[in-house]
Amino acid sequence: MRKVGIVGAGITECRSRWVEATYWDLFQQATRRACEDAKVTVDEVDSVVYGIYNDIFEHQAIPESSLTGLIGMANKPGTRVTSGGATGFYAMRTAAMEVASGVSDVVLCVGGEKATDCFDPRSKTATPMVIDTIAKSWDPFYEYPLGATASDSYMQMCMGYDDTYPGDIGDSDVRARIIEILCHSGNRNPYAQRRDESVTAEQVKASRWIIAPFLRLLEACMYTEGAGAIIFASEDKANEIAERTGQPPVWIRGIGAANESYSPGRGGNYKPLSRIASDRIAAERAYAAAGVKPSDIRLIEAHDAFVAQLMITMGELGFVPIGETRRLIDDGIMLDPKDLADDEAPGDGHLLINPSGGLIFGGHFVGGSNMFSTWSCRREMINRQVPLGLVHGTGAINACFGGAMVLELDEGGAR
Amino acid sequence: MTIPQGQPALPLDFNLESEVSEIEGRDGATYLQFTSHMVTFYRQTYGEHSRFFMALREGRLIGAKCSTCGQVMVPAATWHCPNCDFAEMTEIELPHRGVLAHTAPITIFPSASFLGDAPFARGYVDVALDAPIASFLPSRLRTTTGLERPGIFVKGIELKLVFEDVRQGSIRDIFWVPMAEVAEGLRDKQPLLASELDFTTPQPPTVEKSAAKTASLGEAMAAMSRLADHVAKSRRAQADLAGREHLVGVTTGGGDFSIRVVDSRFSVIAGIPKGAEHTLVADDPGIFTRWVHDGSLTDAAVEGSLWLPHKEAFQLLPILDRLPRSTRRDLGDETS
Repeated sequence: MRKVGIVGAGITECRSRWVEATYWDLFQQATRRACEDAKVTVDEVDSVVYGIYNDIFEHQAIPESSLTGLIGMANKPGTRVTSGGATGFYAMRTAAMEVASGVSDVVLCVGGEKATDCFDPRSKTATPMVIDTIAKSWDPFYEYPLGATASDSYMQMCMGYDDTYPGDIGDSDVRARIIEILCHSGNRNPYAQRRDESVTAEQVKASRWIIAPFLRLLEACMYTEGAGAIIFASEDKANEIAERTGQPPVWIRGIGAANESYSPGRGGNYKPLSRIASDRIAAERAYAAAGVKPSDIRLIEAHDAFVAQLMITMGELGFVPIGETRRLIDDGIMLDPKDLADDEAPGDGHLLINPSGGLIFGGHFVGGSNMFSTWSCRREMINRQVPLGLVHGTGAINACFGGAMVLELDEGGAR
Repeated sequence: MTIPQGQPALPLDFNLESEVSEIEGRDGATYLQFTSHMVTFYRQTYGEHSRFFMALREGRLIGAKCSTCGQVMVPAATWHCPNCDFAEMTEIELPHRGVLAHTAPITIFPSASFLGDAPFARGYVDVALDAPIASFLPSRLRTTTGLERPGIFVKGIELKLVFEDVRQGSIRDIFWVPMAEVAEGLRDKQPLLASELDFTTPQPPTVEKSAAKTASLGEAMAAMSRLADHVAKSRRAQADLAGREHLVGVTTGGGDFSIRVVDSRFSVIAGIPKGAEHTLVADDPGIFTRWVHDGSLTDAAVEGSLWLPHKEAFQLLPILDRLPRSTRRDLGDETS
């Protein structure tokens, strides 16, 4: 397997709705910015991988087909990846594998979503139809007819975890403090959907319930429209591009993925509801491939659909013990970006988690959210000279899809 | 979302008029948007699942048991064990009682197809308790004690399987109720039908009276009276109430009162007159003071501190929740 580097990244502004652009233009914007960032032309790109989660959102059954020519990828191989909330992660994994295998030297990975063109005629708002479109990810025989939604699904995991490890994610003060920190991070991200918001712990605790007792309105990610692109390159090509751009390559040191069974159950290969096993297995594989331990990593961009889930995920990724994830706050492990200079690396015993603002403040354009996380992770690694970073993705019913990717800053650093 | 046989597959108001309309962008320019749909109708086969749904129609619950490892899959999603090189699985009859595998979430904000059904509970039931390895059955959960709310469907609670009287072959043909809510004589009945349980006259919870709560109710009545005055001056609040007529009784630990909505106006009166459509119960009258000060009756119901007899009672709460904000937007500082 060849060494693979990230040489460019570009994202659009995250918005609740873009009436000024369709997904055609959003994908082109992200591609254009990534090419500018890497100082490459589309001619130098060998192939493209698309991350698009849900055909119903795009209102087209083969949405990538109409993008091909518009993003300069005519007559090149193109693969569309769709894996629920983890679509972006799996698209990047596919792109990286394509370079690692030697099939391509430069691969564009671009993902996005146009989520809020949906409209519910009865409530005269988008939201119930957006929820319904996501709910169509459930099977038509058993789960969808019961009214399953994405929030319920993640909250079922949180309730299962709380049944087994009480006194951890249930403390609303801890969750609200995490939100405050994520808000401060979002304020620093010029592309974040909620970059101008100032949310306090008190406001979080006073916000309306979505599902008691683990999910208030201000603890949830948003529906976002936007796109993100990452350019992957082989070692030789990455070094050549780095000379051009003056930006060090960020190498992919290890990737791990795991999808649990759809059916929850007891024993065997059934999905346990008290843990997010897919996160744990994926991270262990990524660490093994990279030859690192969680304690070597201080910068993480994790898929935070909901704060309580983020806490469990941080436990599954090995940064805090399962059942004691509240130590992120209690022990001051999770850094507030306000306490760190923009070029300062997190110190020993501290973690910089979701400096993008995460999906909660940054944005969650499903097919490209993990590219958004990767864009931020790379940016922070270069700006703060952080040697290792971790990008995480999760998705599908009861969070049964999981992925993790360990990134390493080139030894040449800022060059 | 039970779709009775012979009814339209989509509700008739689930539609949009064809149009292209203008919408302003953040750049101040005008853009166009068009209405459309991506609806597909299905006559989808249940295929290998048909046996499971046929059994439901007959009032039975079946699973698939592996002849090699003994694991039980319910629902019978496959007849070949994925863990034993696809060994044959055989049909087994399952008991009509189970245990809730984990505490269940309660849905407040449903998807478009389930608008009006909220709140509702769904969870995973461990049915094949004797099997060493078993899947959980995704299930509807109902209570005879009012609205589904936290504290009822908790991990480990024993559940009784109930069948709808009229079944069509759907996962919604069945639901589970806490075994403790089922009369002893009915607990072993198979199948137990929904009509054999009473969901229409739930027993309200008891409140504990105290002088402190009486004082608290006084504060709440004063706060709600001020809100009523503000509603009378607020166009937004009146629009929130337009076309509605309600008389809802409330029992609290500090005494009774009623909420009246008529002619786009809101008022509170002491006591519960005859003709009240239903009665809500809240031990703590402070809920209503907090509501007026931008709290939420919906949240109180979601948390379980405000008891409601049925889903219809729930539908009014989001509308009442809008009133403090609407009056503040129209009247500004006058409301503080």
